[in-house]
Amino acid sequence: MRLLLADHYRTARQSLNRARLRTLLTVTGVAIGVASITAILALSGGVGKVVSKQVAELGGHVAVVRPAAGKATLADLSNPTPMNAYSTSPLSEQDVETIAQLPATEAVAPVMTLSGSIRTKDGQPPEESIVVATTPTLPSVVDLPIADGQFIDSVTRDNTAVIGAQLSVDLYGTEQSIGKNVLIRGQPFTIIGILNRQAKPVNFNNIDFDHAAIISLKSGKLFNGGVAQIQQINVLASPGTNMDAFGQDIDQALRLNHDNQPDADVFVGKEIAQPTSDLFKFISLVMAVIASISLLVGGIGIMNIMLVGVSERTREIGLRKAVGASNMTIVSQFIIESLIISALGGLLGFAGGYFVAFVVSLFIPYDPTFEWSIAGWAATLSLGVGLIFGLYPAIRAARKDPIESLRRYH
Amino acid sequence: MSKRASTPVIQLTDLKKRFGIGDAEHFALDGVDLTVQKGEFIAIMGPSGCGKTTLLNIIGLLDRATDGEYLLDGRSVEDLRAGVHARIRAQQIGFIFQSFNLIERLNVLENVALPLTYSGMHHTKRLQRASDVLRGFHLQEREYYMPWQLSGGQTQRVAIARALVNDPSIILADEPTGNLDSKSSHVIMEELSEIHKKGNTIIMVTHNPNLTTYATRVITMLDGRIDTDTGEPRQGLTDANGKRPLSGNGKKPKAKRKRKVKK
Repeated sequence: MRLLLADHYRTARQSLNRARLRTLLTVTGVAIGVASITAILALSGGVGKVVSKQVAELGGHVAVVRPAAGKATLADLSNPTPMNAYSTSPLSEQDVETIAQLPATEAVAPVMTLSGSIRTKDGQPPEESIVVATTPTLPSVVDLPIADGQFIDSVTRDNTAVIGAQLSVDLYGTEQSIGKNVLIRGQPFTIIGILNRQAKPVNFNNIDFDHAAIISLKSGKLFNGGVAQIQQINVLASPGTNMDAFGQDIDQALRLNHDNQPDADVFVGKEIAQPTSDLFKFISLVMAVIASISLLVGGIGIMNIMLVGVSERTREIGLRKAVGASNMTIVSQFIIESLIISALGGLLGFAGGYFVAFVVSLFIPYDPTFEWSIAGWAATLSLGVGLIFGLYPAIRAARKDPIESLRRYH
Repeated sequence: MSKRASTPVIQLTDLKKRFGIGDAEHFALDGVDLTVQKGEFIAIMGPSGCGKTTLLNIIGLLDRATDGEYLLDGRSVEDLRAGVHARIRAQQIGFIFQSFNLIERLNVLENVALPLTYSGMHHTKRLQRASDVLRGFHLQEREYYMPWQLSGGQTQRVAIARALVNDPSIILADEPTGNLDSKSSHVIMEELSEIHKKGNTIIMVTHNPNLTTYATRVITMLDGRIDTDTGEPRQGLTDANGKRPLSGNGKKPKAKRKRKVKK
């Protein structure tokens, strides 16, 4: 049997070699399908990977509390703005206090984001900017190295701000802007620190710190009618804490504050890394489906070309049967031929898919991820396509009547 | 040699083959009884549509009889599965076709080695064996030619080499000279009778009465039945082989024998 496989491989290579252009075109068809699936898997995997890497860098002891999101439906995706976009966050300063008092909590930092312009006295506001109000504990929970100056702390005055490196460049044309005055929502703030350039627009805070101005929570409240509007609470647990149990503890503690209602979701470990946007998941899914359609088209190409090959080689099939090939032998001979086509397509598509993914990643804020599971998918899909679409032509070849086949084209 | 004692290579009893159904039903073979001993060279003659080729196909296990019994080497093959038939074809039967049927994209050597693929021989060994057989046909220097580079006669000699390569117990030839001019035809027939002399059993279907002179036994068929049969080893294998002066050039004895055969 092993010998016969080697023979089939040799035969298949010969016959594919003879119709090189045809083979190449069919291979390309499969390659395009596999490439698109590979690219989509690599890129969508990249998003989660970026965040989970950041969580891992923090030692994996981070828990994140976010307002409970209502169950998103497909209709929400197409609504211009989902209803819950207008609901206020139920997380309060009291919740931050509550979490801070849990025994396993090492540090806790609320994050309150505000919209509004950031500009110099006579300049235009930069295109991209965000105001973040938080407590001095944030750098202990989130990796936020300071390039210059200092972070806000308990003794700094309220009208001081720490800004991201790119925001500094956008405002002043330089990263050296310590001591300068900036207008945030029209109020003057003094810059006391510049953050290191991070280039991590995707992170679990959903904040691009390169473009952020960080102010104290107290100043943030002043912009919001004296009420803290907390979007997220980052919690650092002491080393060795069981994070799942810790997450439940936080949840229990928060329910006491919220009339036993599930107002907040607590995320630990991998959950933090999962893209929260249903839209993103939905789009990835739709793209994967579209990509599978192109793979399907590739498969139909295989079937087409195999059927042509079978009818071209009717006489050869008849002869092979006459000299002792069984139906199974003929089936496996043609299956192997289609498997070679699809395997080549798979290889080419896998490489091409990563090429596309890297090119695309130049324009989007994260890199494609390499995982063996993606290689596994590419291999499985391409070989599966070869098998499924090669089966019918192979069976047709095997079913040919040797007498009829040998009589044809006399 | 040991005519009576050994089992016949082929034994057909009341073999029938029906084509079509209902009104269109007709029997291509309508009760054929035939016993072929080892070492016979049989020529089957008859008008078109008399069932010669059908008989050959059934003997070669490419087709199944509708009715009747077929013993190959003493073993009934009627009820065997298709896979077993394929194995028997690979090991015991050699085919020679009118239209040669070499595979165009394989060279001569690979074409000859083809049947060995299905008896599980290693690639290199196969080519060696094929090369040995080709040497017997003085085609060794053509080993790496492609089929389209050969003349008709050469092509058929390659095809005969292919039929012999697996050392079959029986060689079936369906009008082996049908596509050849008379000169090449005789070359081919010389080759066949050469093979026959080495002890091979050959069944050949032909339209050409001249060629029957090479055979040890001539059967004519009519309407799916055996019409005339010069009979089992009437001029037995040993006689024929020993005395026939054909192998050299033999034009004369051919004419003489022809008359004898046709009565």
